Amino acid sequence: MLTLVIGGAGSGKSAFAEELVCRLPGERIYLAAMLPRDVESRKRVEKHRAQRTGKGFETLERGLDLAGAAFPENANVLLEDLSNLLANELYESSGGGTEAVRRALAHLIAACENLTVVTNEVFSGGADYAAESLRYMRTLADLNRELAARADLVVEIVCGLPNILKGSLP
Amino acid sequence: MIFVTGPLYAGKQTYIQTALGLSDGEFARRAVRDVQELAVGSDPEALADELAGYEIVIATELGGGLIPIDRAEREKREAAGRLACLLAKRADTVIRVCCGLPQVLKGRLP
Repeated sequence: MLTLVIGGAGSGKSAFAEELVCRLPGERIYLAAMLPRDVESRKRVEKHRAQRTGKGFETLERGLDLAGAAFPENANVLLEDLSNLLANELYESSGGGTEAVRRALAHLIAACENLTVVTNEVFSGGADYAAESLRYMRTLADLNRELAARADLVVEIVCGLPNILKGSLP
Repeated sequence: MIFVTGPLYAGKQTYIQTALGLSDGEFARRAVRDVQELAVGSDPEALADELAGYEIVIATELGGGLIPIDRAEREKREAAGRLACLLAKRADTVIRVCCGLPQVLKGRLP
């Protein structure tokens, strides 16, 4: 089953996605795509780590080339998150661009029993951004739509509450 | 408590005032709005507890644009989002208003 969870900053999307994955039987893998580069991102990693303590996740930190990652059979994978993964593949020197993200998603969908992808709603703050930022936003929007089209369940999170866009909650 | 959220200028106050038939005076007495402005630097749980004492709490969603380069701006959006989650937990009813129209996320319409 493929699930897409979308929300804005501080919307509670991560906590909601974790709860969804926690309901699934079997091995749970938290695929952390953020490459911690500074104090703020390290803090964020710590916050998310604390948030999922005791929820039975094994953490795999991998910000690039997810198509090369191996997973146990019947794994439930939570990818956190697509916006970080895209930024890594686009802007890291060893990144493989948008196609590397598409390859990663195809691999994850094929390899996992259940894949839950967290992504960011970054599109309702207008278009007053630099051209490169707009290119990034458009690419993320393309990926969001591609995933949503394939997904069984698409949920937008608003102040911690689900707004179901496709499918139904288990 | 009824928590009303939604984007800027979505008609949040107008909607809830109309739905409950509140005069401006009654609204001022029973409701608090723009609570997203209070989020930065506060103890979020304590602030949410205090705000939950109102009958109606209104917050504008800030977290929807691209993540700002400015750190203070990032913190403001994040804090506003966290506060909204805490208010939604305490609320009996959560309504998101978009172009003046309500969508019930929790509970039911008043």
